[in-house]
Amino acid sequence: MPTYELALLLRNMPKPELKTSLKRISHAIFDCGGIIRNIENLGFRPMPYKSTAHGMTHKEANYFIFKIDTPTKAVIDLKEEYKRDVDIVRQRFFKVKEEERKACTLEEELLPPAYREDVQKMIQIGKTQVNRFTYKFKYNSGLDYYPFQK
Amino acid sequence: MKMALFKSFFARQMLSTHQAVLSTIRTQSSNLKPDPDAPVEMENPFKKELKQCILCKLNIDPDYKNYRLLSQFQSPYTGRIYPRHITGLCKRKQMQVEQEITKAQDFAYMPYTYKHKIFLKDPKLFDPENPVRSHRF
Repeated sequence: MPTYELALLLRNMPKPELKTSLKRISHAIFDCGGIIRNIENLGFRPMPYKSTAHGMTHKEANYFIFKIDTPTKAVIDLKEEYKRDVDIVRQRFFKVKEEERKACTLEEELLPPAYREDVQKMIQIGKTQVNRFTYKFKYNSGLDYYPFQK
Repeated sequence: MKMALFKSFFARQMLSTHQAVLSTIRTQSSNLKPDPDAPVEMENPFKKELKQCILCKLNIDPDYKNYRLLSQFQSPYTGRIYPRHITGLCKRKQMQVEQEITKAQDFAYMPYTYKHKIFLKDPKLFDPENPVRSHRF
């Protein structure tokens, strides 16, 4: 089961209601065979832009982040379920990727163009192709007329 | 006569011993002390320090939850992401920053068209008026 992160915005509501809706959300994950690793509450705060959900305009929301492991096929069902949930203003799933560490390439990028590897590659590719700015039709090509419009 | 003989003998003795001492010093010096004027193997002392972008140097991975850091790469006037020639990041980190900013904007953590007012006085990581490479406009 791959690890997903689920960013949820819940509408403004009293605490007991929030509790029940969080329970409902997490039970949906358990029902489809997933597990919850972590729940983060980022608090109730104003949104940077207003958004409309279920006929209501929201300017503030409760921010939550769920770290979950679910089967890949279950994600569509979960999305569909949360879409119908009236308390959820916005829900975004995304797969957590392990970023591998790589050395900084800034030194090579700051070199003059002729020394950069990608520029040298482009020059090599350019040499294999016909330069259409300097290309001239050869009249000794077997055709006794110029085939294109002059 | 006797004295002269003795003198010559003594001189010879002295010479021979002196030569022997010299030869021993020479052999020792060739074994232990190399020529002090010979070139020494060492690293290039004039080699410049490797240039690194600020996120690689501090070992930071941009994340959509850390939107305060991401907002430093955003224009306070239009909310647009500054390109690589202004931010001075390496290609990889710039790509990551752009991805995370778009993610944060989609998840309603960050605004699209302005920079949040509480982040306006954050320290500047770069000067947009003096880019690393010149503007194309």
